[in-house]
Amino acid sequence: MADPKKDPGTRKKGNLRKEFGIVLLSTGVLGALGWHFFPPVMPHVQLPSEPVVAHPLSLPVLGDVYLTNTLVAMLLMDLVVLALVYAVQKAAKSGDLVPRGISGAFEALLEAMYNLTESTAGKWTADIFPYFATFFILVLIANYMELLPGVDSIGWLVPAEHSGHAAKGIFLLKQAGEYTVVPWVRVLSTDLNFTAGLALVSVFMTQVIGVKALGLPYFGKFFNIKAVFTVKPRWMGFIDFLVSILEIISEVAKIISFSFRLFGNLFAGSVMLFVIGFLVPIWFQSAVLLLEAFVGVIQALVFGMLTLMFMSLATHPHGGEHEEAHA
Amino acid sequence: MEQAIVQAAKLIGAGLAMIGALGGGIGIGLSAQGAVQGIARNPDAAGQVQTNMILGIAFSEAVAIYCLVIALLILFV
Repeated sequence: MADPKKDPGTRKKGNLRKEFGIVLLSTGVLGALGWHFFPPVMPHVQLPSEPVVAHPLSLPVLGDVYLTNTLVAMLLMDLVVLALVYAVQKAAKSGDLVPRGISGAFEALLEAMYNLTESTAGKWTADIFPYFATFFILVLIANYMELLPGVDSIGWLVPAEHSGHAAKGIFLLKQAGEYTVVPWVRVLSTDLNFTAGLALVSVFMTQVIGVKALGLPYFGKFFNIKAVFTVKPRWMGFIDFLVSILEIISEVAKIISFSFRLFGNLFAGSVMLFVIGFLVPIWFQSAVLLLEAFVGVIQALVFGMLTLMFMSLATHPHGGEHEEAHA
Repeated sequence: MEQAIVQAAKLIGAGLAMIGALGGGIGIGLSAQGAVQGIARNPDAAGQVQTNMILGIAFSEAVAIYCLVIALLILFV
């Protein structure tokens, strides 16, 4: 037994461990009691997003636009991004050369991302970096909304088998059976519209950067007419031409794979969170939350890095010569 | 009765759709194997190997995720 006066470090650590154990034990007991009095409900899995207000906004061209729960999440995400921009801009304008707090964290993050971009994109870093960084930060914030308590679980209570808005009250759990919950905020990435929108931006801007880097010959990747006349056996050149047509399909496949990867990962994650909460009322859901935190950052990084890779591939001239690949 | 048959067919279909996850699992295992072997031979390249491994894993995982999306669509739409 160490003397507490001689060794305050161990003493403190031991106390902390004891407190942690007490907290764990009491949450376990409370969870078991809660499970007894409020049995967990089988979650209702809802794929399309639902409107949270009864009346749609009538716009001239778009028609009726409902405020859906993923739209609320998008507005929240925009607010978070704008707040971060404001904080970093204020710190940058203050003339303080040593970044502190949030601007310091952003400087470290952006520097790491810039170095990564530079090692892949070479001289096109300045063109490609904004897309990479924007996608990463947007998707990260959208994904991490999943970890907030109340997202996906607090909302209007409506009768089941009723898609419209019929508020019966406010309830805290997803519920199957007679009533179901329309959450006010739902994770943005579980809406295919958001991920498909990002994927469209990513693939379209890849083409723009390709044209910027190579000019019109960039489209030779898709219509390789040159190969028909230059490649020695004529039929081989013709096959090259057909293969280049396949590149168009691969661009379309990129849109699908971008959008479904993000959507599928996050949707499966949120379904798993609720199903685990139904099976094991306490503790285990925290482990799944940890996994979801990991998945969120990995998916954001993958979205950004795939954009980066495709964009830097588009800046390389096709046709064999790769001498400026490591500029 | 018809409702029950439709429900059973949905469940079987979702299960069959998830067979595709097999390929994603094999792919992730192979890429992790290759990365670990590469890092063991050249520990200095660990950072680069890891980045590429995660990228490759994301690609092969996407295939499994498509299956999952199809299964979820069958079950819940």
